[in-house]
Amino acid sequence: MAPRLTVAKTVVKFVRMKPLGAAGAAIILAMMVVAASTQVLAPYDPYHADYGVQFARPSAEHWFGTDEFGRDLMSRIIYGARIALFVGFTASFAGCTIGALLGVTSAYLGGKVDLFLERLMDILLAFPQLILALAIASILGPAIQNVVIAISIPIIPRAARVVRSTALSVKENVYVEAVQALGASRRRVVLQHILPNVMAPYIIILTAQLGAAILAEAALSYLGLGAAEPTPSWGLMLSGSALSYAEKAPWIPIFPGVAISLGVFGFNLFGDSLRDALDPKLRGR
Amino acid sequence: MTAGIRRYRTVITAVALAVLVGSLVVTPSAAPAAETPRRGGVLLAVIGADAPSLDPHQESTFATLQMVAPLYNLLIQIDPYNYPKVIGDLATEWKISPDGLTYTFKIRQGVKFHDGSPLTAADIKASYDKLVFPPQGTRSIRKIAYSAVTSIDAPDPATVVFKLKFPSASLLDNLASPWNVIYPKKYLDKDPNYFMKNAVGTGPFKFKNYTRGATFEGERNPDYHVKDRPYLNGYKFFISPETSVRAAAVRSGRAYIEFRDLPNSEVGAIKKQLGDKIVVQQTPMVGQFGIGMNNTVKPFTDVRVRKAMTLGFDRYTAGKVLYPLTGLRDVGPLIRPGTEWALPQAELEKLPGFWRDAEKSRVEARRLLAEAGYPNGFKVVMKNRNVKLPYQDLAVFVIQEWRKIGVEVENRPLETATWFNDLREGNFEMMINPTVEFMDDPDQFLNRYTKGAPQNYTRISDPAVDDLFARQARALDPVERKKLAHAFQKRVLENAYYMPGLWWTRNVVHWAKVKNYVAPPSHYTNQKLQDVWLSED
Amino acid sequence: MRIYIAKRLLLIVPTLLGAATLVFLIMRVIPGDVALLIIGGDAGHVDPRQLAAMRERLGLDQPLLVQFGTWLWGVLRFDFGTSLWTGQPVVEELLIRLPLSLELAVLATLVSVVIAIPLGMLAAVRQDTWVDYVIRVVSIGGLAIPGFWVGILCILGLVIFFGWGPPLEFTPPWVDPWANLSQLIWPVLTVGYRYSAVTTRMTRSTLLEVMREDYIRTAWAKGLAERAIVIRHALKNSMLPVITLIGTEFAFLIGGLVVTETVFTLNGVGRFVVDAVAHRDYPVVQALIFLIAFSFVIVNLLVDLTYAWFDPRIRYR
Repeated sequence: MAPRLTVAKTVVKFVRMKPLGAAGAAIILAMMVVAASTQVLAPYDPYHADYGVQFARPSAEHWFGTDEFGRDLMSRIIYGARIALFVGFTASFAGCTIGALLGVTSAYLGGKVDLFLERLMDILLAFPQLILALAIASILGPAIQNVVIAISIPIIPRAARVVRSTALSVKENVYVEAVQALGASRRRVVLQHILPNVMAPYIIILTAQLGAAILAEAALSYLGLGAAEPTPSWGLMLSGSALSYAEKAPWIPIFPGVAISLGVFGFNLFGDSLRDALDPKLRGR
Repeated sequence: MTAGIRRYRTVITAVALAVLVGSLVVTPSAAPAAETPRRGGVLLAVIGADAPSLDPHQESTFATLQMVAPLYNLLIQIDPYNYPKVIGDLATEWKISPDGLTYTFKIRQGVKFHDGSPLTAADIKASYDKLVFPPQGTRSIRKIAYSAVTSIDAPDPATVVFKLKFPSASLLDNLASPWNVIYPKKYLDKDPNYFMKNAVGTGPFKFKNYTRGATFEGERNPDYHVKDRPYLNGYKFFISPETSVRAAAVRSGRAYIEFRDLPNSEVGAIKKQLGDKIVVQQTPMVGQFGIGMNNTVKPFTDVRVRKAMTLGFDRYTAGKVLYPLTGLRDVGPLIRPGTEWALPQAELEKLPGFWRDAEKSRVEARRLLAEAGYPNGFKVVMKNRNVKLPYQDLAVFVIQEWRKIGVEVENRPLETATWFNDLREGNFEMMINPTVEFMDDPDQFLNRYTKGAPQNYTRISDPAVDDLFARQARALDPVERKKLAHAFQKRVLENAYYMPGLWWTRNVVHWAKVKNYVAPPSHYTNQKLQDVWLSED
Repeated sequence: MRIYIAKRLLLIVPTLLGAATLVFLIMRVIPGDVALLIIGGDAGHVDPRQLAAMRERLGLDQPLLVQFGTWLWGVLRFDFGTSLWTGQPVVEELLIRLPLSLELAVLATLVSVVIAIPLGMLAAVRQDTWVDYVIRVVSIGGLAIPGFWVGILCILGLVIFFGWGPPLEFTPPWVDPWANLSQLIWPVLTVGYRYSAVTTRMTRSTLLEVMREDYIRTAWAKGLAERAIVIRHALKNSMLPVITLIGTEFAFLIGGLVVTETVFTLNGVGRFVVDAVAHRDYPVVQALIFLIAFSFVIVNLLVDLTYAWFDPRIRYR
């Protein structure tokens, strides 16, 4: 039996073997720290409009400058981290978990249930992600909670599909068949055999969708279906006339764009490396 | 040299000198010679929306009007160079009977439609019948403006007579509406909806091509009834819904003009880059942005609460602060400030919400709220349209204002379709909404505060208001009418039935080579392009 | 095999039916009224009687089931109805906008493939070296940047620094290839770059998977001459999954089209969907979504069929 690795040793091993993934993890951690300490870090109230300093250049008073309402951009970006993490995690987690549950159920119960669920997922899969999210966001109206719902729904069938195929292959695995023949209860088979084996694809798709969710929120906000003023969402900060102001005050569209890119970049790097690590076929030499 | 020759030389020198000095004096004076219009060129324009159909009678969007206006003429029109004076277009003269119940128009002769057929009074009658008595299956959006008209007759090919059942002070202005284009009767007889997809008029340009979502083109009408017009060979609209892309198009010269409005920030950048090559015409717009409180919903059923809200809105600061962002600038009553019907500034400043002293206003607001039973303020939802300029910007400002008097307003932007729905159904507590018309006409602007009016979204119901409106609508004497219009506005604002916000200004940006276009306050008028010319291609 | 194909084809029918129903329901559930929008326009004058008449004319006053039935019946005869917003046949509206989107999609795919496949190969062959890292970072970075942000910054850059704006009108490539290209090049690059990022990663991971196969590893261990043959063999085997993956990433492209066409204001199908949803133009949205779903399903079917053809294990699931 291999020696048990402590948490610290695992982390060190991860950093050494997958430096990119570690970089991604570092970015995510930084985002989380920022999001958790908004009170401490943000010098101003992100909602407060100070009409004396509209379009102020970055300076000692306002490190990132101010926007068209005189709101401190850095404070808004800091609070925006909270919203980005909220959107990313919630949408991805909700979508993937529901999808995974449906996938496992579908695979395990088989028969009519499987057929019905598969058809349902097929129907949802017939829509490109953004378009379905767009339609749902139109129903619900612009608000950050609604955006999360709108983004998570298209994730469900995609997660279900991936998890279902893994669950199926586990179910058909000779070992599992043997265990079942020996009389193991349904619950035992699911909990002890299927679930652990679908963890890998579940985590993979979860991390893959994290970054995508944040980008989807940005796109929906741009199309006018996302967060509402005065919410300090990064996507909202990029929409509308932020780009009209780009010449006069380039910091207005640049900082939120950089923030989004950095955040999604971190999620993608981490997710990528995690996938490399978890997928047994891809482990490095 | 002999004395004779010397004298001769002196004379010649003197004459030469005199001629020289004379020529300096007689050199062209300070007044520059007028530019001669150049024939030729195609005017390229960008427009921010596509039209649902091509029939202005049936549409409500500037997109339809701007694209097809050059293809048609009106009976009477607003002077393109002298808003809001009404002059003739197809009508050469007109008479109004002393009792105000008969309007007689004399029609220009020798005008031809694009298909070659002559225009007669019968065509005008047919077009107006469609507007005032729309046949089954068509719609006439502004029908209500003509509710006084009982019949339209064409007793001879050169005369059109409108008969009314009661005098209507605004009728002439409404007849000059840019939406009332004149169609050939023979197509209307076949299909009243013919002009939703087709365009046959008498205008300076003929319909050339329409690619939905992309472009709209017109070309010169060689048989136009005004001599030597139009100067342009044609015009072309590019449909481009993104504001920054439209601004980029004008800036790069792919388009020469944007007729409706470009925000101040874009305009500043364009002006900086192109300097003298660009002309920016800034004009006040015939529209304002305000906030409606649903008069049938608590707490806005209480006049004290409504007054407190309007007192809490510092409009003067708003004008200063929002102008560079949105073009909202002028503080005014229910009709555009500076026009003859608007409540004069001196009287306005006595009404709640328009006091110059913002702090005093806020103190009074808090007092009223306490008196009405809300000493700690209250929470309310303000619905809004999810368009940044100027809806969201206005929302950000007023939300912060009302926080100062203890009222927590939540901004809830809605998609346009949803917003409009909720607006009409009264499904809101507070709502940001504009009032925009084609002309500064009291009927058009004040109608919406009367009970039962289709645009009375805030459900105002005050018989005194209704009475004042009815009386001013029939007051043919301008002095009397003005008094009534002022009294009307005073009453509405005193009771804070509605909160007008700020009046709009717009920037029409065009290349200097586009000549002879004067941007009027209303972006619906002066779109015929009859006298516009390009100094170079 | 034929049974498999037949089974799959048959399964498309309920899927499309389900998609059509879902679209119909979604569009009807969204609050907002197209008749109101048309009549209301900018200024909001709405005569309730005219509104009612308009709704009747547009068939909006019929019970939902009837409306759905009418629409479905039309679809079965390839009649997608008329746009509520413009009154023109939906098919006609679509055909105006299709060429641009198609060209954009094809060119973007081309660009992405040309960039992605060589890069993905390189990254896989040099896994965990700095080459691999750089390529992965660049492609992940490309994916992380919001597409519309890049698009608008592009336009702004062109305008501010070069005084150049993209052409506003679509000219088909056979009419004026230069004008056509100058309108599309920036959107193509924007979409193509992001699409290539996805494809690069796919190529890399697929190639890695193939290279782990035992026979490949053995040949690799055997030495240089063998390696060359092996690489070629590995490539051949991984091209198939990559190509099929390009097919499934079609979804990504469609989403990209929507945003890019809005940003660059291209008169394409993507922007048309957004506009139609905003206008509550039910027939158009239903037709567009239905067609997108249809092409999706077909593409997925082709992908699965290609897979099944080459991998017998999957055939009899």
